[in-house]
Amino acid sequence: MTLSLFDQFSSPTFMGIPLIMVALSLPWLLFPSPTSRWLNNRMLTLQGWFLSNFTSQIFLPLNTGGHKWAPLLSALMIFLLTLNTLGLLPYTFTPTTQLSLNMGLAVPLWLATVILGLRHQITHALAHFLPEGTPTPLIPVLIIIETISLFIRPLALGVRLTANLTAGHLLIHLVSSAAFVLLTLMPTVAILTTILLFMLTLLEVAVALIQAYVFVLLLSLYLQENV
Amino acid sequence: MLSRTALLSANALKSKGPLGAGLVQASHSLHTSAQSLAPVPPLPEKGGKVRHGIIPEEFFQLLYPKTGVTGPYMLGTGLLVYLLSKELYIVNHETMSAASIGAVIIYGIKKFGPSVAAFADKLNEEKVAKAQEVKDLALTSLTQAIEEEKKQQWRAEGRSMLFDAKRNNVAMLLETNFRERIHMVTNEVKKRLDYQIALQNLHRQMEQEHMINWVEKSVIGSITPQQEKESIAKCISDLKALAKAKATV
Repeated sequence: MTLSLFDQFSSPTFMGIPLIMVALSLPWLLFPSPTSRWLNNRMLTLQGWFLSNFTSQIFLPLNTGGHKWAPLLSALMIFLLTLNTLGLLPYTFTPTTQLSLNMGLAVPLWLATVILGLRHQITHALAHFLPEGTPTPLIPVLIIIETISLFIRPLALGVRLTANLTAGHLLIHLVSSAAFVLLTLMPTVAILTTILLFMLTLLEVAVALIQAYVFVLLLSLYLQENV
Repeated sequence: MLSRTALLSANALKSKGPLGAGLVQASHSLHTSAQSLAPVPPLPEKGGKVRHGIIPEEFFQLLYPKTGVTGPYMLGTGLLVYLLSKELYIVNHETMSAASIGAVIIYGIKKFGPSVAAFADKLNEEKVAKAQEVKDLALTSLTQAIEEEKKQQWRAEGRSMLFDAKRNNVAMLLETNFRERIHMVTNEVKKRLDYQIALQNLHRQMEQEHMINWVEKSVIGSITPQQEKESIAKCISDLKALAKAKATV
């Protein structure tokens, strides 16, 4: 059977085991766990430095109630970063290209922030539906618009991550196919295509890192509004 | 290399639930170093040696006795050629993307590897330097305290000299005071005695003057006028005689 371009995104199963589970547990194996030593090796030192810097940056604008989310969000960040960057290697499967996974991450976390806001400070949370200083005739329209924008957030979070990664992988697939086919037909054009592929790879690395960061940053922003 | 991963994950799972005990037993075959917890054995300075970035040096050492230096390379090339010729590995577009991402990774590691390693080392060194600073500060403050203590002890020894000097001082003051008072007494007594002497002298002088005045007054009173005429005539005749004697000489 001929492979279409989108078959690279089909979730693989091997003897009935969905391999996505193995792919999801790979990041856990790659990071060293903290030891009881005071001075560690380079990997652990760098990991600790990165995590502490990241956590302090993300949680700077949040009040102490939001600091409870620190382990969750930093774990999420490391998870997404690893999944995205590992997917750039050849013959790998990127779980974050599956909309199901991303929605499974986005909807519960977003819903948690909304429920937290409605539970603890309902008037403050509802006040976000009406920005300050709106002219009176616009108020009904604006409230409807803000409600729609609120409910679109989880969709946007999930779809953003999925679309970015899927598009990137698809492009890499396309451009590398083009370069491979052109290698025998027109070598000079193939060289140009290879240069394009190289730059695309660089872009994809950047996108992988940035998309993970954006996901976590937006969640922290939603948390900031509600906690 | 993978055994290290298994060891790490087994180590992490050791304390977790019912799986833990079984994993501890199962992983005993992988424990190669003597297990003792104190003192904590030092970490190796550098990671395991690798050749060409991913193949551990131990692999080359393993094959060296049978196939020499080129053995592993022949193995690698043969394996690659076998996979390609039997079409077990097909060259397709993924190879291109593999080449591309491989180039990015190798470039990244070669360019930024040493600086990242130096950064990690610097983080650790800063940690050690902070603790060392505290230790050094404590050491210097303690040595200073010892110096101070020794100085105070030396000062305490000189105490007896201080007391002697003070005693001498006080004695001198007393002596000076005593002598001053003696002088004062002497002067006062002398003044009194001088007064008495002056008084006596004055008495005698007044008596003498009074007596002289009385004698003169009585003598002058006893001279009668007739005697006065006789004495004047005698004086004149004496004077004439003297003048005659003088003129002849």
